[in-house]
Amino acid sequence: MHPSTADPATDALLDLIPFGEMEPAALTVVAANLQAVAGLPTRIRAVRPTPDDALIATRHQFDAVKIITALDREPHGAPFRMGILQRDLCIPILTYVYGESQLGGHAAVISLHRLHHIDRRITAERGAKIALHEAGHLLGLEHCREPGCLMRFSKQLDQLDLLPMRFCSACEYETARLLKRASVNRRP
Amino acid sequence: MARNLQIMVVDDEEAICVALSAWLTKEGYSVETAGSGAEALAKMERQPSDLYLVDYKMPGMDGLQLMAEIKARQPDAPIIMITAHGSIQSAVAAMKRGAIDYLCKPFDPEELSLLMERVAAAHTLQQAETAPDGQWDTAAAPPAWGGIVGQSEALRIVLEEIEEVAPTPAPVLITGETGTGKDLLAMAIHMRSEQAAGPFVAINCGAQSETLLESELFGHEKGAFTGAIKARRGRLEMADGGTLFLDEIGEISSKMQVALLRVLEEKKFCRLGGNQPIETRFRLISATHRDLRQLLREEQFREDFFYRINVLTIHIPPLRERLADVPVLADFFLRKYAAETGKPVEGLTPRAMEILMGYAWPGNVRELRNVIERVVVIARGRMIGAEELSFLQPPGDTCIPETATLKEMERRHLQNALENSDWNISRAAKLLDIDRVTLSRKMKRLNLKRP
Repeated sequence: MHPSTADPATDALLDLIPFGEMEPAALTVVAANLQAVAGLPTRIRAVRPTPDDALIATRHQFDAVKIITALDREPHGAPFRMGILQRDLCIPILTYVYGESQLGGHAAVISLHRLHHIDRRITAERGAKIALHEAGHLLGLEHCREPGCLMRFSKQLDQLDLLPMRFCSACEYETARLLKRASVNRRP
Repeated sequence: MARNLQIMVVDDEEAICVALSAWLTKEGYSVETAGSGAEALAKMERQPSDLYLVDYKMPGMDGLQLMAEIKARQPDAPIIMITAHGSIQSAVAAMKRGAIDYLCKPFDPEELSLLMERVAAAHTLQQAETAPDGQWDTAAAPPAWGGIVGQSEALRIVLEEIEEVAPTPAPVLITGETGTGKDLLAMAIHMRSEQAAGPFVAINCGAQSETLLESELFGHEKGAFTGAIKARRGRLEMADGGTLFLDEIGEISSKMQVALLRVLEEKKFCRLGGNQPIETRFRLISATHRDLRQLLREEQFREDFFYRINVLTIHIPPLRERLADVPVLADFFLRKYAAETGKPVEGLTPRAMEILMGYAWPGNVRELRNVIERVVVIARGRMIGAEELSFLQPPGDTCIPETATLKEMERRHLQNALENSDWNISRAAKLLDIDRVTLSRKMKRLNLKRP
């Protein structure tokens, strides 16, 4: 399954938007997993500059909420938008986040900064897991307590690494149901 | 993953309220926000919360003043003070005046998650402690028993045993069928022990892989394995000064039994990847639904470990052997679910009670709870009658062809449960006393789809 790269006529439900320098392979792995695991038709949009207006200079981190708000306000594009960047993300109240999203909303953002591993394949897989987790939130899923589910909140990277690349069957069922609803009620 | 905890976030910075509220909502908590002390008090009058996260520094009424006002109205309300990074003095002041904990802005997500889990667990325990009226009909009723409800002789004996074993430091093994409430007994022992003020750290040994269980119990040092980017405390360390409850102890591997045995004997251990011994002293309570002696005979359980964890044993009998508890349990759950759903259900008719008393309860108290929840949800009147409990009665004139295979029977049974729950998977799973994941998997296997 290969994600489309820029065809505006596509029926994509999610736009994956890279901010700043990004390894293409990681981007492809994230997009492919969003499609294959969550069933979200995904297209990779053109690279945009790093969102400097969201930079919290004192913390050397980017404010995830600001990025999400800006993505949500964009009039054009797929119903769901997910930013992805290599720089460190936070929300003002938390020291860092791997990703952030609107619960049952339209926009999310993830960062590969803290997911870095010497093996680039592992970094990309971690990115895909975070992207799928945030996509679950976009569809309206809360955290799950099943040990082997992507919607389980991973406090640490070792917990994230232990998760398989899938939702538990209950979350999978919910994802499919909510996705169907999202496809019907496409954002105008 | 809805959790039974209502939280109020009070902060004059809207962005903080919004961000914290969003994070807690994703964790499954119900959240309300207030931009000032006055607004918080007004909202509290309408609907008190189970936990208050209060910013220390606010214009007008500051965090300490608001905490005093909340305490005046809701003395037992747990309050966590939010302070600016580095302002230890204000954190200390808050703790002295009764805050259960404090968080320095910005919070570490892991720290926040652990703190919320701790508060939610304490809240569950407190809720369970709010024992219903009437289950003990004499003035000599024991103090609150952590949600253990009953009036049977068998249960009285169990509770007496708890009173006896609780003050001693000896390890306790709780045995009993699934659904009998072994976790509640463990908490009751902890609450009556000398470690009651210390932490109660529980872990289900059957719910995780060996590697994860090892990491959860022992913790690890930074770099111990791929992804261990910083050191982490394990449950053995967290339980220091309190009680460690190992549920489903019959499921752990022989290797883990050896590792735990060593900790119990030496009272110290090393984190994974570490070589610095860490001392820990805790009271051990284990539980299992399996026959450990049988596992010993089959050489699946180590004899030395068995005798180490089995110094004192408490067996909780299945519900069918203490039917006298059924009426009070039914009444307890009926009032609980009537209050939760807002339905004016008052009781069960004598015929309905007869049906409950005549049922074998293979799923024990958990099954009874699920049955009562279901009948309260479908109840139309003030009394629950026999017809609402018809699903518990023998099939009677139901015609089951002799040729029905086990698969067909399973399919039919699942379909009935789903239809009775309006195809709500969570409700049907509760009814069947299995988790929703298992039900979803069975539905897929049997090709059961909502019509």
